[in-house]
Amino acid sequence: MIEIIPAIDIINGKCVRLTRGDYNSVKEYNSDPLLVAKEFEAAGFTRLHVVDLDAAKQGKLVNIDTLRSICDETNLVVDYGGGVKNDDDIATVLEAGAQMVTGGSIAVRDPAIFLGWLERFGPDRIILGADVKDGHIAVSGWQENSHSELFGFLEFYADKGIKKIICTDIERDGTLEGPAVELYKKIMERFPSLQLIASGGLSSVSDLHRLYEAGITSVISGKAFYENKIPLKPYPLNTLAKRIIPCLDVKDGRVVKGVNFVGLRDAGDPVELAQRYSDEGADELVFLDITATHEKRKTMAELVRKVAEAVNIPFTVGGGIGSLEDVNAMLANGADKVSVNSAAVRNPEIINEMAEKFGSQCIVLAIDARREDKDGPQDEGWKVYLNGGRQRTDIDLFEWAREGVERGAGEILFTSMDHDGTRNGFANETLAKISNMVDVPVIASGGAGTVQHFADTFRDGKADAALAAGIFHYGDISINQVKQYLQNANIIIRTHPTPGGGKKK
Amino acid sequence: MKITIIDYGAGNLFSVANACRRLGHQPVLSSDEHTIKNSDRVIFPGVGNAVTAMRNIRSRGLHNVIPKLTQPVLGICLGMQLLFEKSDEGETSCLAILDGSVSSFSKDPAANVKIPHMGWNIIDNTESPLLAAIPAPAYMYFVHSYYVPHNSYTIANSYYNGRFSAAVQKDNFYGCQFHPEKSGPAGIQILKNFLEL
Repeated sequence: MIEIIPAIDIINGKCVRLTRGDYNSVKEYNSDPLLVAKEFEAAGFTRLHVVDLDAAKQGKLVNIDTLRSICDETNLVVDYGGGVKNDDDIATVLEAGAQMVTGGSIAVRDPAIFLGWLERFGPDRIILGADVKDGHIAVSGWQENSHSELFGFLEFYADKGIKKIICTDIERDGTLEGPAVELYKKIMERFPSLQLIASGGLSSVSDLHRLYEAGITSVISGKAFYENKIPLKPYPLNTLAKRIIPCLDVKDGRVVKGVNFVGLRDAGDPVELAQRYSDEGADELVFLDITATHEKRKTMAELVRKVAEAVNIPFTVGGGIGSLEDVNAMLANGADKVSVNSAAVRNPEIINEMAEKFGSQCIVLAIDARREDKDGPQDEGWKVYLNGGRQRTDIDLFEWAREGVERGAGEILFTSMDHDGTRNGFANETLAKISNMVDVPVIASGGAGTVQHFADTFRDGKADAALAAGIFHYGDISINQVKQYLQNANIIIRTHPTPGGGKKK
Repeated sequence: MKITIIDYGAGNLFSVANACRRLGHQPVLSSDEHTIKNSDRVIFPGVGNAVTAMRNIRSRGLHNVIPKLTQPVLGICLGMQLLFEKSDEGETSCLAILDGSVSSFSKDPAANVKIPHMGWNIIDNTESPLLAAIPAPAYMYFVHSYYVPHNSYTIANSYYNGRFSAAVQKDNFYGCQFHPEKSGPAGIQILKNFLEL
């Protein structure tokens, strides 16, 4: 569970944010912290992180009345930090209604007092504040750096029974530059039993995702909320991963186009390839029957069955699918979806029938198109082609995509014939237009050449998935490389922690 | 171990059966009351439309059978949704084993998401015995247009246009919105957990 804890930092009774803890960088967001707290509560939050920046700097409680009013007038569970330095202070803060108290400077300067609190109030109520700059703990509202080195500091208190820590990377705090995921990973590895609350730098939903992947369960959000970088919710809104889909051309039950994998016994065996791609982290597979005659349907059905027995990731079968019987033969043998192309253009009603009988979610409308007016705008003049691109029609790409979805297609697989095989990138302007127009997922196809192209088609092309054949088959780029790149580019993808993934040489 | 996959004409049972076989079991596909009642585990799958599914369930008398089962039952995708009281999909009355109803992703006018919710998404909790021993981060494969909001039976959430129930449990009734049989090794682990409950 990734819990997002909103933060209110107070200076002079007002709700502010600093950048990197610099008191000269004060940005005031609201003159009434109580109103802000109520807003958080109304948005569904149950926790609140309150920092009295005046108190942190001056070493004495300053804005205690503000804390009291928040605790009195909301049901938020509040943790408080700032300037708590003796037994009287902590009594005052708890009496004001804080459920948890964070000690930072005090834990550096007077461990005996801090450990006394830990013993009296327990590790659920006493949080260790580990605010880090250059690997050392910063104190006094981050105005000074101490001699305490982070890991030694954590080890000392972990041994003494501390459970919760708030770790802020000062260099990132208030910068919206992304959280210190690598640092947190190191802390989690070394102290797996600590509940680490990440703090500082949060700027996007994909940051939340990266923290989740690092094993972090709570994160504090200040500026990201105040500047509308992430939606005001106690959890992320959408964590669906973009999909990477290798496509395999099949003829007479064998994969054609040389597939260049090290160590494959039989590069033409669809089952072995499916297994290989699945292990590598493919999110889905597409099998395209390029013979696609009625007589070959039985061969394809057998292939589908063998693939379904070997891998348990979703896969789509296309090529020559034209009737309800065709669809049934594929699905009954274990395919998850079918893609329909030429047959749907010739008889659009078949989309309705297929969707009605089998459900939209398993009907992919594959569209091959080419832009005829090369001088005109990128997103105009696209004509649909049939029979693997051999036969031109007068049908407009966008009208056909819209109609297909209205008739019940659950996904669009768009291949730009102009881009296919060029390795110069996907047809992103065109894809974006389709994606904005229809409310079903869109798969980008044609043009993949570099890892960057995948990021571009997800960002600029607004694609939900990207399909490629050659670059994966010939081993130019591995699926893992694509995913690594996308993850670094803050695009949400499924990482792949399975033991089977490491076989590649 | 006797495993029955309830066969009520709701599409593709191949993958679920195959996943059980992979775990060394020979599941039976059946809509027969006696067979279902006498199995150690019951899997209640489903793809497609809630209205059609409930019609098929009623015509086989299964609406009187499933709620009375006492062995572990696992509803998958639509099968999980049908465990609740009703679905927005065709305003269908469902099995009412769990309180609550099934909503549509498209109902929210502010929804800026593609429908169906299709692909790999996280589950945010693996504490339930059903979800144990899955390496984090846990991604599962989802395909659905309707969802169960977060509720008191939720054992894991996922996030798409907000938070929704990725998995639920009430007593012996378990449900997952995602397809464990299509979710790679992590999904197989969930089926294994279910069979070992």
